[in-house]
Amino acid sequence: MFISIQNVCFSYPNTGKPALDQFSMNIEKGEVISILGRSGSGKSTILRLLAGLEKPTEGSLTIQDEVLFDGNTFLQPEKRGIGMVFQDYALFPHMTVGENILFGLFQLKKSDKKKRLQEVLELVELQDYEKRYPHQLSGGQQQRVAIARAIAPNPHLILLDEPFSNLDAELQVKIRKDLREILKKANITSIFVTHDENDAHALADRIVKLKDGCIDLIGRPCDLIGIHPHPVPQVTPMIEERELMSV
Amino acid sequence: MQRRLANVNGWTVSAAIIMILLFLPNITIVTGIFSPSNENWVHMKEFVLGSFIRTSLILISATAILTISIGLSLAWLITQYQFPLRGFLKWALILPLSIPPFIGAYTYHGIVNYTGVIQTTLRDQFDMVLNPAHFDIMNLPGAIFIYTMFLYPYVYTITRVFLSQQSASLIESARMLGKGPWRTFFQVVIPISRVSIIGGASLVVLEVLNDYGVVKYFGIQTFTTAIFQTWFGLGDIESSIKLAASLMGFVIFILVIEKVLRGRRQYSYSTTKVRPLPLIQLKGWKAGLVTTYGLMILSLGFFIPIAQLIDWMILTFGTIPMDEFLTYVKNSVLVAGISATAIIIFALIVGNFSRLVQGKVAKLLPKLSILGYSIPGAVIAVAVVTAFIALDRFLVPLYQMIGITTTLVLSVSLIMLISAYIIRFFAIGYNSIESGYDKIGTDFRDASRLLGVGVTKTFFKVDVPMLKGAIISGFILVFIDILKEIPLTLILRPFNFDTLSTKAFQYASDEKIMEASQASLLIVGISALAIVVFYKFLEKEPD
Amino acid sequence: MKKALFLVLAFALLVLSACGNDTTTNKTTSNKESKETKETTETNESKEVNLYTARHYDVDDELYAKFEEETGIKVNVIKGEADELLERIKREGDATEADLFLTADAGRLYRAKDDGLLQAVSSDKLDEQVPANFQDKDQMWYGLTKRARVIIYNKETVKPEELSTYEALTEDQWKGRVLIRGSENVYNQSLLASFIEINGEDKAKEWAAGLVSNFARDPEGGDRDQAKAIAAGVGDVAIMNTYYFGQMLNSEDPEEVKVAEGLGIFFPNQDTTGTHVNVSGAGVVKTSKNKDNAIKLLEFLSAPEAQGTFAEANYEYPVNESVEATELLKSWGEFKEQDISLSVLGDNNAKSILIFNEVGWK
Repeated sequence: MFISIQNVCFSYPNTGKPALDQFSMNIEKGEVISILGRSGSGKSTILRLLAGLEKPTEGSLTIQDEVLFDGNTFLQPEKRGIGMVFQDYALFPHMTVGENILFGLFQLKKSDKKKRLQEVLELVELQDYEKRYPHQLSGGQQQRVAIARAIAPNPHLILLDEPFSNLDAELQVKIRKDLREILKKANITSIFVTHDENDAHALADRIVKLKDGCIDLIGRPCDLIGIHPHPVPQVTPMIEERELMSV
Repeated sequence: MQRRLANVNGWTVSAAIIMILLFLPNITIVTGIFSPSNENWVHMKEFVLGSFIRTSLILISATAILTISIGLSLAWLITQYQFPLRGFLKWALILPLSIPPFIGAYTYHGIVNYTGVIQTTLRDQFDMVLNPAHFDIMNLPGAIFIYTMFLYPYVYTITRVFLSQQSASLIESARMLGKGPWRTFFQVVIPISRVSIIGGASLVVLEVLNDYGVVKYFGIQTFTTAIFQTWFGLGDIESSIKLAASLMGFVIFILVIEKVLRGRRQYSYSTTKVRPLPLIQLKGWKAGLVTTYGLMILSLGFFIPIAQLIDWMILTFGTIPMDEFLTYVKNSVLVAGISATAIIIFALIVGNFSRLVQGKVAKLLPKLSILGYSIPGAVIAVAVVTAFIALDRFLVPLYQMIGITTTLVLSVSLIMLISAYIIRFFAIGYNSIESGYDKIGTDFRDASRLLGVGVTKTFFKVDVPMLKGAIISGFILVFIDILKEIPLTLILRPFNFDTLSTKAFQYASDEKIMEASQASLLIVGISALAIVVFYKFLEKEPD
Repeated sequence: MKKALFLVLAFALLVLSACGNDTTTNKTTSNKESKETKETTETNESKEVNLYTARHYDVDDELYAKFEEETGIKVNVIKGEADELLERIKREGDATEADLFLTADAGRLYRAKDDGLLQAVSSDKLDEQVPANFQDKDQMWYGLTKRARVIIYNKETVKPEELSTYEALTEDQWKGRVLIRGSENVYNQSLLASFIEINGEDKAKEWAAGLVSNFARDPEGGDRDQAKAIAAGVGDVAIMNTYYFGQMLNSEDPEEVKVAEGLGIFFPNQDTTGTHVNVSGAGVVKTSKNKDNAIKLLEFLSAPEAQGTFAEANYEYPVNESVEATELLKSWGEFKEQDISLSVLGDNNAKSILIFNEVGWK
């Protein structure tokens, strides 16, 4: 088993009900997992817990037999070797594309850094944009930089938070395809969170449907087609969830 | 909570140390409220306190309303419209902040009084003899005018920064819904800017509460007068600290009200791309009117008093010794620079701590540092002296080890003065830094950590560069405030240490306002320079 | 960025410690010096005197420089407001570096004495230079310059014959014509304190209430502003200190001179209790470590050579009777002063504040 998540529970301070209740699943290497759910279902919370940005109240996470957290251990986010692509990309505005990508490569030798930078730029097809600043790029380009930055240090796992929410519909379809290609080419295990069934079906090897912090359904996209026990609305205001987290 | 704390040890420890140091002197004041009432206290309560409090309330509410009206309207016009001189007014409208209110008060009185330029011109050139009552500025409305003209930039700067960061869509959608500019202003702009309006206005209110120079000169009896009357007049510092403590209580009350009003609403942007509002070109009389309005405020708050000060400087040039002025400039810039730097560093540490820990206490505690800003400087000074003398006595064995034979070492050095500045002005710097942290949110930090970079390294490589704007604006604000600061500098300075503000005050308090013009102009000049440099710098920043 | 931040921090610390050390190294070297000199001469202590002063005229600095030139004793100065300096000395306690406390009001000198911050010092020179009524009765402080609180009147609307005493200003004919500054001012407090001493508390309160009912307007501004208000026609008489009138007559602003020239000066109570005078003066701090130097500075400031400049620069009267007042002051004529010990000004200070509050003198 490559990644094992067992019985993870979490609740935000000052709120009564758990944001996540007894979440468990195993993931194979190279698998693309999609977590699908409406806002408030706890899907972003899973990413933050896996990344180490929040502390679970219970449960454990191991990647390749290394315990990232359980009752005794809590590895800081910077020690986990997990990459993350944020919903708003969070590209450092004071750094160029190249500097953003190099940011996580501080442990490499100078020549290796350069090589790796060129590799990932090539992967996301942004070779000519190394010297640009994020605000000089389009939304799709920014997203690809964010992916390149996350992939560059060769993480065990990459997490993507609503990767398409900031893109227009046309771009979304194209990028979806690109993203799957990139992830498969790099053979990186990934989990992405979305509220859009189409995204999930187009991208994922397996889909996890979440409801009220519990797993509702889990399976391959083809298995899930036609099963709509709890219809997921297409347009969901995202602001509520952000607010909840900033409190 | 405790498990979270464990993550951020170094930051927690340093933030805790900083906050303890900030609060210690204030605590000595707060405990004063529990001291038993004596007969002076009873007398103050019986005869004067009621009317003093009434005057204070009128003064702060009128000043708050006026500074909000002027500051917010200017901020709105500047962020929304294009009109002649907009580029200049944008930063020049901050300049009145560089004039200490007490100098402003002396200057305006100098302009309008019997021997002032207005009355003499009318008298000598036009032979008009005027009812002096019409030219009296030394009353409550006069004081409100002075405070408004020299303090409105607090509201202006804070709301302008806020409005310019507002996503255009919010305001545009109001327009699309068919609201006219006025209705947009009242129904959308004011409600969304509420937090920044309150932020700016509370600085104004606190500044009015702690100021003594203007009201003393104008003969207006406020709560501050009561504090000083019991201290200086009755020689009863216990009662006066008790009064100051009540003032602190009042400020805490206001802070709580504000907190409740604000509720849980907090906005932060994690995205780098907030689309700026496209400016609407004003034409014809409307453009003229807006430019005139801006220039009028700027003239009242800056050009007119400056012209008068320059006139006085020319009149008195050569009559006062000038050879030490370079030293005063050096001293002023040195203490203001060091203190402002320290405040910003401390604010960065405490702000980062409060962001890392996320608890309510960690959010609220640094806010309380504003207490140091709410009470008259002279009272803070007593608290600081007391604390430093205790510290010196405690350190005597150490002093003896290194061969110093005197007891007072720290308390006769600049360290005491600088510490006092830090205690007093921390809130100003923290405000700025905190809003900077709020603005960048936590995603950038999280992104950095997930790329394998630890909290401290992230702080230097990501947070600090992104906070550059907030760091500089906080620094400038604190720097200017310290440059014009009076009671602390006067009381806590070491031997033979003069600054521009002590010099200006010294002449002004001897009723030699003309002789005070040189030092005042230098204060204004340095502050104005700082503002200009700051703006040139910010304009170069990519959005 | 990190480097820059550390550099700034390091720089700040460096400067701080340098500033901190500045005074301390001074102290230690001077102490060492004093030890060395003690071995040889046994008379000379350190070559410094530390002054806390609430008087801050430019000419003061010149005199301190001259003192250093003559005696080799450096005068270290902290200038501030009297009450705040007193509080600082009080808090510093026996560790204070202050040697001499100088202020422009006898009431404050009294308060310093009353709080046990001063010590008695005596020298033949001081006795010779400072008349007994301008010394503290226990020799804890000595007056250095004096000023009178007089009546200034509009030459056009008031004949000097109409004026007589402070008390007369409470009569009905002065209704709406009297100008004076606010009660937070120490000169007014001392004025009322002297009346409490001379006429008793009830009479003094009666006077204050009577004057308030004759006010031309609510008190505002400083002493100079009262004179200007006469010129503006707000009132006809003002109570103010002599030196402010002198400053206006010699102002750089021709308009102020014009105002002052339209005004007359009147020394009240000449046939009764005398005109109210106050002093600026100084006392040696109880725990002074440079007591001899402090006394030397006192002697220097009251000596004929310094008295001229010290008093003249601010249009004040010298206390040293061997020194003549300036031409301007002489032109105002000799006058009879209140015959009270100035210590009572401080004694009665709190009482006068309470009276001011009770009669509604703003």
